[in-house]
Amino acid sequence: MMGSGDIITPLVMGILLGGLYALIALGLSMVFGVMRLINLAHGDLVILGSYGGYALMTLLGLDPIVGLVISIPLMFLLGFAIQKYLMGRAFGISSEAPLIIAFGISLVLQNANQILWTPLSRALNTSYSNLSFSIGLRQFPLTYLLDFTAGIIVMLALRAFLIHTYLGKAITAASQDKKAAQLMGINTKRVYGYAFAIAMISAAIAGVFLGMTFPFTPTSGVSFLTIAFGTVIIGGLGSMLGTFIGGIILGIVQTLGGYFFGPASQMLIVYVIVLVVLAIRPQGLFGR
Amino acid sequence: MSDKPLLRITNIDVFHGTFQALWDVSVEIIRGETLALIGANTSGKTTLLDTISGLLHPAKGTIEFEGKDIAWLDPYQIVELGITQVPEGRRIFPDMSVLDNLLIGSYNGSARSKKSQNLEKVYQHFPRLQERRKQIAKTLSGGEQQMLAIGRGLMADPKLMLIDEMSLGLAPIVIDELFKALEQIKERGITILFVEQNVRRTLKEADRAYILETGRVALSGTATELCEEDRVKKAYFGVEVCGV
Amino acid sequence: MKLKATRSKLTLIPLAALILVLALLPLIGAPQSWLLYAFLFFIYLAMANMWNLLAGYSGLISLCQPAFLGLAGYTLAIGTWVGLPWWAGLLGGATVAALFALLISVPVFRLSGIYFAIGTLVVPEALRMVFYLWRPVGGQMQGAGAGYMIKGTGGVSTHLIYWLAFVLGIGSIFLMKRVLKSKLGLGLAAIRDNERTAASCGVSVFKLKLYTFIIAALVTGLSGAVYYLYQGYIEPSATFNVRWTMTLLLATVIGGIRTEEGPFIGTIVVVFLYFLLARYAGYSLLIQGMILIGLMLLSPQGIVGMLRRSRYYRYLAQCVST
Repeated sequence: MMGSGDIITPLVMGILLGGLYALIALGLSMVFGVMRLINLAHGDLVILGSYGGYALMTLLGLDPIVGLVISIPLMFLLGFAIQKYLMGRAFGISSEAPLIIAFGISLVLQNANQILWTPLSRALNTSYSNLSFSIGLRQFPLTYLLDFTAGIIVMLALRAFLIHTYLGKAITAASQDKKAAQLMGINTKRVYGYAFAIAMISAAIAGVFLGMTFPFTPTSGVSFLTIAFGTVIIGGLGSMLGTFIGGIILGIVQTLGGYFFGPASQMLIVYVIVLVVLAIRPQGLFGR
Repeated sequence: MSDKPLLRITNIDVFHGTFQALWDVSVEIIRGETLALIGANTSGKTTLLDTISGLLHPAKGTIEFEGKDIAWLDPYQIVELGITQVPEGRRIFPDMSVLDNLLIGSYNGSARSKKSQNLEKVYQHFPRLQERRKQIAKTLSGGEQQMLAIGRGLMADPKLMLIDEMSLGLAPIVIDELFKALEQIKERGITILFVEQNVRRTLKEADRAYILETGRVALSGTATELCEEDRVKKAYFGVEVCGV
Repeated sequence: MKLKATRSKLTLIPLAALILVLALLPLIGAPQSWLLYAFLFFIYLAMANMWNLLAGYSGLISLCQPAFLGLAGYTLAIGTWVGLPWWAGLLGGATVAALFALLISVPVFRLSGIYFAIGTLVVPEALRMVFYLWRPVGGQMQGAGAGYMIKGTGGVSTHLIYWLAFVLGIGSIFLMKRVLKSKLGLGLAAIRDNERTAASCGVSVFKLKLYTFIIAALVTGLSGAVYYLYQGYIEPSATFNVRWTMTLLLATVIGGIRTEEGPFIGTIVVVFLYFLLARYAGYSLLIQGMILIGLMLLSPQGIVGMLRRSRYYRYLAQCVST
């Protein structure tokens, strides 16, 4: 399997996969960029999105992407509530409190999902889940392309929001200098709430596309958390474009790693790269 | 009532954690005047400003603005009432454009609807900001950044502006420019409280001043009174300075 | 004066009695399950104290503990395959863990708070992969290089292993006391208060953090090795698993982070919850998660925080600490 001919396939797969990784990581990047919060529960929130899509699919027969219309507002409210009642208060308590509360949320989510849905792995299988598309003579899974497209769209949307809207500018300002932002009349508590809520929207979307691409279990959140962190570390915290590129890089590293060193070592190579980047340039390629 | 103080701080104690920074401080600001707070680095000047702005809250004592108790409001509410702070070190948003920095200044409720007019007025005070409006803030010179910081404060349509160490690190020519702009701002009826270490210049520009020493009010009075005060002369100049 | 001395000695008696009972547990015919839970208690206690030292007292929120205990465990396992006696494996394991801490300290300490946590999160994951793929000596349980039986433990009595854990657990309490009262402890307090000021006062921030990190790695590693000595086998996915971190975090936070008695009380609660809810694994963790959240919001100093509000408790604590 080592270096057997076709490197283009893993390359393209890596890029497309990277789009999914970026989609998962965008919310984390924004929350970290704005609030300096390591949301350990992020992976589990994404999986919550996956289960949400699953619930809508099995109970109402809705296509998962269509189901987003319902789950997005719900996740938005959940995010706002989490920030306002849990995380927001945590910052005033101690330096480790936000981390610990995020951990607690992670535990609650994982086990609530386990109780509701059993540890069996689920997947969001739709009529088009198993289709593939071709570039030249090569075939690729359609879901990967959908993931990539979703990733680009969400990234551009978030970027536009942060740059062009008043609330977005307030969020950006609060991330650059919290004290100054407060002095400008920005209600940082509320702004953080919005930031978290928006991150939740991207998590909901990521969850759905994740579920369509890979099977998931209540504990899948942890592995995707690590991937999301890796993406954000490489691309730079707080930069939407940077996170996207970070995702692509991570995806390529993984698939090419698997191509050269065998599929078992894929993730190891990824982790090593993340650690290397952490050691050399922790703020990532585009971070501040 | 033009002699009812705009802002009245009465006997406040302020702590940073367990460390007491202000002791029994009382300050009054009258509408339309220019008040100076003078003191060395550790005198508690910034703590006082931060307390007025709602970033800190007094452990005892009251703060009244236009007769209303504001001691325990959140910072954004204080801005909405009409008090803005131009913080020490400017603290402009480094990676945002000049225009964005100014627009953020108008974020709070009542100022937002008037943001175009406020912007115009700021450009009148500081034409250079209009020229550089698309520039990223961190690329501006020190003096321009200070103008931006003041302009940002103006965008919130304040009744009272608190300016912390405006002249820090700036050349005298630039400082002159800034004080000239402050004159214009004063003419609009905005009350100014500014904090400085540069005593000489300060007493020239201010109507009244308070001198803070390690968290307490040491002296207060009109600029002329203070100029004549022996202690001020000895402590800060050793020589006669206020002979203008 | 005399009365006070007698009183303080009297309050120590129940505590000493408890410790004595725990020490003699294997001999007084206690049921196996009790022994197991007491064993786990001491192992977790030692690790929780170390996590408290790192996260509570040194500001190093380390998610890296599984790496230490895993490396120590694997050293033990490989050691027994290579012919080393088990106790050499234990010591070797602790040493390997400490050396690993030294190794990663250089890159990892350059990272401030949040990045530090991320970095320490990734390390155990990476090690999990490494030990999944790597087969340093023969033998396998599953997968390519995955699990190892720990050989030659037939001759080691469970009593001995229990006492090892006992010594570790109780020892960790005394270790914490020593460290916190020492120069190291004072330096850490200064760093926690204001790192830059501490540095400018001549406190070598890096060195102190390093010492703490190594001490914690050593004890955590040793505890892990004893754990695997008892379990008899080791495999990557359970070893380098964030569940260890969760347990330690829970124990420390529930008990009271940054308090001396916190990990002790917290570990009791955690082991008790495991015991009580062993059948309902999912619910147990769900409840623990909710406890964690509720606790941080309502009583950030954990149970100890709540207890400290009672004068009787404060009095007790005073007597014990003399």
